[in-house]
Amino acid sequence: MATTLAKPLHWEEIQEDLSLDIHELVKSASEVIAPLGPISKFAARSPWAGLERQSFEQTARRFKDICDIELFPHDSVLKSARDQGEIDVNFLEKGLQQWLDRHSFELPRAAAEQFCRVALTKDTPSSDLTAHPEVKRLAKKLSGFKYQLKARQSVKTLSQRFEKIGNGSVLRDLNRHLIKWCKLFLDESQAVWSMPNREEGFYQAWRRMASLDPALSLEERRQIKNLPKEADMALNEALSHLGIHPSETREYLEAHLLALPGWAGMMLWRSQQHSNESSLLTDYLAVRISMELLLMKPYLPLPTQGTKEDVLLESLIAAWFHWGNFPIKAWSQLPAAEQKARLNLAWQFDRIVRNKLWMEAWEKTYEQQLMEKIASKQQAGTEPKLPSLAQFVFCIDVRSEPFRRKLEQTEVFETFGAAGFFGLPIETFKLHSHHSHPSLPVLNKPQFKVKEYLPESQYQPFHERLQAVNSLQGTFKTMKHNLLASMLLPEVSGPWLSMQTLGRTFLPRRAGRAFKKLLDTWFRKPDVKLTLDRKEDPAEAKLPVGFSEEEKVHYVEQALKTIGLTDYFAPLVVICGHGSHSTNNPYASSLDCGACGGASSAFNAKVLATLCNLPHVRQALKERGISIPEETVFAAAEHITTLDELHWVYLPKLSDKAEVAYTQIQAALPKVSEQATLERIRELPSLKGNLKNPKAEVERLAEDWSEIRPEWGLAGNAAFVIGERSLTEACNLEGRVFLHNYNWKKDKNGSLLAGIIAGPGTVCQMINLQYYASAVAPHYYGSGNKATQTVTSGIGVMQGNASDLLSGLPWQSVMQSDETVYHAPIRLLVVIQAPKEYVERLLNQDRAFFQKVQNGWLRLASIDPEGNWKSWS
Amino acid sequence: MSNYLELISLPTAFFIILAVSLVSAFFLLWEKVPVHFVRYHIGIISLPPIVALCGLFSSKHDGSVMYGPWRFDSLSLLLALFVLTIGVVVQRYSVRYLFGDHSYRKYFTLLTLTTFADTLVWLSNDLRILLVCWGVTLLGLTLLIRLNKEWQVARKAAASSGRIFLLSWLILLVAVIWITQTTGHWQLSAILEKSNLAQLASWERTCISLLLIVAMIIPSAQFPFQRWLLDSVVAPTPVSAVMHAGIVNAGGLMFTRFAPLFNGGDSAQLILLVLSGVSVLLGTGIMLVHVDYKRQLVGSTIAQMGFMLIQCALGAYLAAIIHAVLHGLFKASLFLQAGSAIQHRETHSFKGRSFPVLWTITGVIFGLIFSIGYWLNSGGEGYHIISTLILGWSVIFAWVGLVAFGSGRIGRVAGLAFLAGAVIMFKFIHTLLDSLLHETVMSGMQPPTPTVILALIILLGGSAFGLWLTNNRSSTAFTVIYLWLVHLGEPHKDLVESHPKYLSYRRSFRWQRH
Repeated sequence: MATTLAKPLHWEEIQEDLSLDIHELVKSASEVIAPLGPISKFAARSPWAGLERQSFEQTARRFKDICDIELFPHDSVLKSARDQGEIDVNFLEKGLQQWLDRHSFELPRAAAEQFCRVALTKDTPSSDLTAHPEVKRLAKKLSGFKYQLKARQSVKTLSQRFEKIGNGSVLRDLNRHLIKWCKLFLDESQAVWSMPNREEGFYQAWRRMASLDPALSLEERRQIKNLPKEADMALNEALSHLGIHPSETREYLEAHLLALPGWAGMMLWRSQQHSNESSLLTDYLAVRISMELLLMKPYLPLPTQGTKEDVLLESLIAAWFHWGNFPIKAWSQLPAAEQKARLNLAWQFDRIVRNKLWMEAWEKTYEQQLMEKIASKQQAGTEPKLPSLAQFVFCIDVRSEPFRRKLEQTEVFETFGAAGFFGLPIETFKLHSHHSHPSLPVLNKPQFKVKEYLPESQYQPFHERLQAVNSLQGTFKTMKHNLLASMLLPEVSGPWLSMQTLGRTFLPRRAGRAFKKLLDTWFRKPDVKLTLDRKEDPAEAKLPVGFSEEEKVHYVEQALKTIGLTDYFAPLVVICGHGSHSTNNPYASSLDCGACGGASSAFNAKVLATLCNLPHVRQALKERGISIPEETVFAAAEHITTLDELHWVYLPKLSDKAEVAYTQIQAALPKVSEQATLERIRELPSLKGNLKNPKAEVERLAEDWSEIRPEWGLAGNAAFVIGERSLTEACNLEGRVFLHNYNWKKDKNGSLLAGIIAGPGTVCQMINLQYYASAVAPHYYGSGNKATQTVTSGIGVMQGNASDLLSGLPWQSVMQSDETVYHAPIRLLVVIQAPKEYVERLLNQDRAFFQKVQNGWLRLASIDPEGNWKSWS
Repeated sequence: MSNYLELISLPTAFFIILAVSLVSAFFLLWEKVPVHFVRYHIGIISLPPIVALCGLFSSKHDGSVMYGPWRFDSLSLLLALFVLTIGVVVQRYSVRYLFGDHSYRKYFTLLTLTTFADTLVWLSNDLRILLVCWGVTLLGLTLLIRLNKEWQVARKAAASSGRIFLLSWLILLVAVIWITQTTGHWQLSAILEKSNLAQLASWERTCISLLLIVAMIIPSAQFPFQRWLLDSVVAPTPVSAVMHAGIVNAGGLMFTRFAPLFNGGDSAQLILLVLSGVSVLLGTGIMLVHVDYKRQLVGSTIAQMGFMLIQCALGAYLAAIIHAVLHGLFKASLFLQAGSAIQHRETHSFKGRSFPVLWTITGVIFGLIFSIGYWLNSGGEGYHIISTLILGWSVIFAWVGLVAFGSGRIGRVAGLAFLAGAVIMFKFIHTLLDSLLHETVMSGMQPPTPTVILALIILLGGSAFGLWLTNNRSSTAFTVIYLWLVHLGEPHKDLVESHPKYLSYRRSFRWQRH
């Protein structure tokens, strides 16, 4: 910078340089938040995906400092888990020893151990103790140590600091204004009169409108009018007026993004979707920080001193008194070095460390349990099995595990696990949908488009029937928004609506099913076809429609290899996607397939099964060493997770042997469903003691419009096992484990494993951390109580009157009740069945994965061919 | 059932069942009662509306039956049926929806108490009982908003609603004392007798009317008192449903009860008309600009209640009652299915399709014939001018949406069927309610023509202005009005919290091994 300024430069060039700078800064600051897409395609995302360079603990400290949120589970959760035997205290002790080994205190080890051990188990000292005059007096005496114990403080926003000082509501007002502008700007058709000037971009629209906003004073409006025309200039100007040091700018922006991570995340998501909105996040920050300047102006500059009284030393002394049994009088007899050492130990062994040790002990206990479970069933011996009648490929989703187990117990079926998008990077376009859906993990970009279509003769009548129903809804909506017609609307539609209300309330299951049946009968949706062959369509500039012949073979080969199904084909192979049924649930898509971007994976299953049946694909596969017998037929089905049912979505003409298999499946399914339901329904909180008819109960859960927990979704997820199904086949994994098939013997160069870790592995980790975050910070990373939510802008939900756009899962999805946690907040344990060298190679080659393991974003273990368990974390 | 009722008389049966239900509601509060008792509770509280229904259709007697301080006429029975049904529906809904909530049991007790008190308001003939019951209703509602009291936003919203409710109740108290002191009666039926009303001087009647109007437009969230309803979006969905369906419409019901007190077309009526007219426009505007689903519903409620009060101001009490009841059912349904607002997004729009001119003209002709027919049948005075206008306009509107824009033969035939279904249902319900109520609900005095014209100006002028704004979206006027509507529809600044922090420092969690 200095060198460029030395030269005589044109003003524009400097400006350009500065603005480039700020865009870069915004981009790097945006790593602290995660993009947040619309709730209708609920994405499994880790809120900390951009922070994996730091360790989990560092991140936890940072969030504690900036946003005052705890990222480790609450004390009471940990204690109750211990009381129920979920945490083995021996692991806690081991963890403590390791922690003490890593830190050196100039204290006798026994004293330090004693202190820490009590601190881990006993409650925290009461506030009376810290406020005790004797403690205060001592703290004053020892205040010289205060500066040696100071950690680096995170940069906070001025409005945050102002609030800390304890006066003014600037931060609240700032948030409120931003919420208002964001929701109006981002609205997708909830409002009839949309925000004017939206097309000019967020900053421009705001600048023009805020200067007329009656919620601001005349003086404030005048100042907005005088703001720079461009967002980046405004942002720079505001930052310099607020006196933010250039070296702190990035962190300052981060602190602002973390104030409303949901709205900022939605801006980020939008900026990644459309190239013409790419600077949306800069716009957002420009608005936010200009507004901050506006609201803070009367109070600037802030006093540097006078922040809330620090009680650090008091709490450390109290800790020693309470946990270390160390009398307050005894301090004065200690040499200064020991005083410091004791204070230092108490300071370092803070709540974050304590809860971390607890949680790690929980994780290790779970690992131990899983290890023992797998090992105990291993010795049972592996008898040679009969060739199976049918093979099912399920999604890795934890909800597949119980269903697969029940299916396998029939002993004639074999099951496999693979990520539910089946390796197909496609964007799906359903018949009569207005939008296409990227049906693959959120981090990947689709490469093909697959559309549903109908021949014209069938399309027209179907279209008309569909439009008839749509026009009823459309007319209802337009009448509601017309001044005169809206006055009559309640009188016309009220009786009909109340009939529906009474039905849905008192006969939830029957009414819901009858209503659905009525619609189905009316629509008579014909069997749709898929555009699998490449079509040159000039209208589809962005993505090619369908696959070329070469691509078809490639993706099928890839999919079969990943699934681990390359030989011993059964006569019938069923590719099973999964979807969920729930009513009146804004979070419906969070219960669908996470690997398909929050939609049912039945579509992908159908595409794969259809491709697998193509004769020329099979021919080409044979040349590549995968020979599928002539009589083998691929079909596709949808596993309805709410109902534990398997619905066929694609059933081609069957060969004789496949027909036999099909008959067997149909005969076995009712029993399998029933058993899977029976196992699952016990977990759901219910008013009824023993259920007479579990099937009816799950049907009610799916249809009842008042049901707050239609199913548990992926709550409880804890591990991801990558290995042969024979490893876990005999174990009841309680629906807590993702399962991916993997045979290291067929993966000489490790590319399959690398693919599984990079794709499905990341999906599982994101799902796990999303549930984790929603359980430990339900107000910040979860989306709060479902009963007080309101849908906003058609894209998400807010709490109460207005709030941040909420991401993550609602309170009821991780909690059994207001008092009881259902989801165990522990990090994902990845278990790989392969020789040690394979794992080493993986860690060497995939640095991102290595980083995740090293920094504690997931945990890693492996089982070698001899059955030895090794922990890598 | 009716034989049985004759034996012990309907009111006795009704009160016994009400008492049993109330006992059940309080019984539920007792910690030792297992939670699944709530299912029996729902069964028990389903009985009162059934009794009210039997009473409503078995009463062959004309006029009203007095039972001590209670009045059992078709209006009070209909309102009892309506409020109690809303109560049962919402409580049944809460069984699953609030399952696991910290205050689970309390919701049922308070919902029962609130809806029962509200029912008794419309049954009471003694103004003292009416005051007490109405007070309990408002108190119950406030407590329901406050039930999630760890959340400071809910606490503050309850406090501000509670304050404004208290004000409205006190004003009602003053009005009631004034009436009773002057007429010397506590019985509403006695007060409203011509001879007793005559004791009130004209100015007194105006003042009392004004007091009643202020007392009742507060719970109806009318301008300038719409604030509390806008702030109460913090309440859980079922509470909002009860609030919007069963309680905000009290104004219309109360004015109907007090109808003889109002002089046709005096200044009080005019003020009511202006305030409710402004509320119609304001509420509709809020609904148009806001993007939160529940806030849009609040806007819609303000507008609908405004319309109900316009009907009252024009003396069309029967129409107001019908509107209040049907709107209640309508709004309760919309609130209870608020979770579906996301799925409803993919509805179709008429944009980008060629305008079907011929079909539209047919629709206009059809609408005109329809409204002329209606007008000739209705007597054609006062309020009927407005209802004819709205009806005709709506028929044309629905025709365009359902038939004219219907795609293909199937679409048009289905559209026609929908339209016919709507018209038949409308006619059926109106005939039914009309035959039930026409003897108990007196129609007010015919409003003077200027009042009707004023109402027409408000509605038509508002529509025209809205249309003009829609077509001039780039104008500064649009921006200014847009921003004002956003501003007026926003919650109070203290009632917004960026994250529901109360969830993070909840008492103590437990982890439950599965």
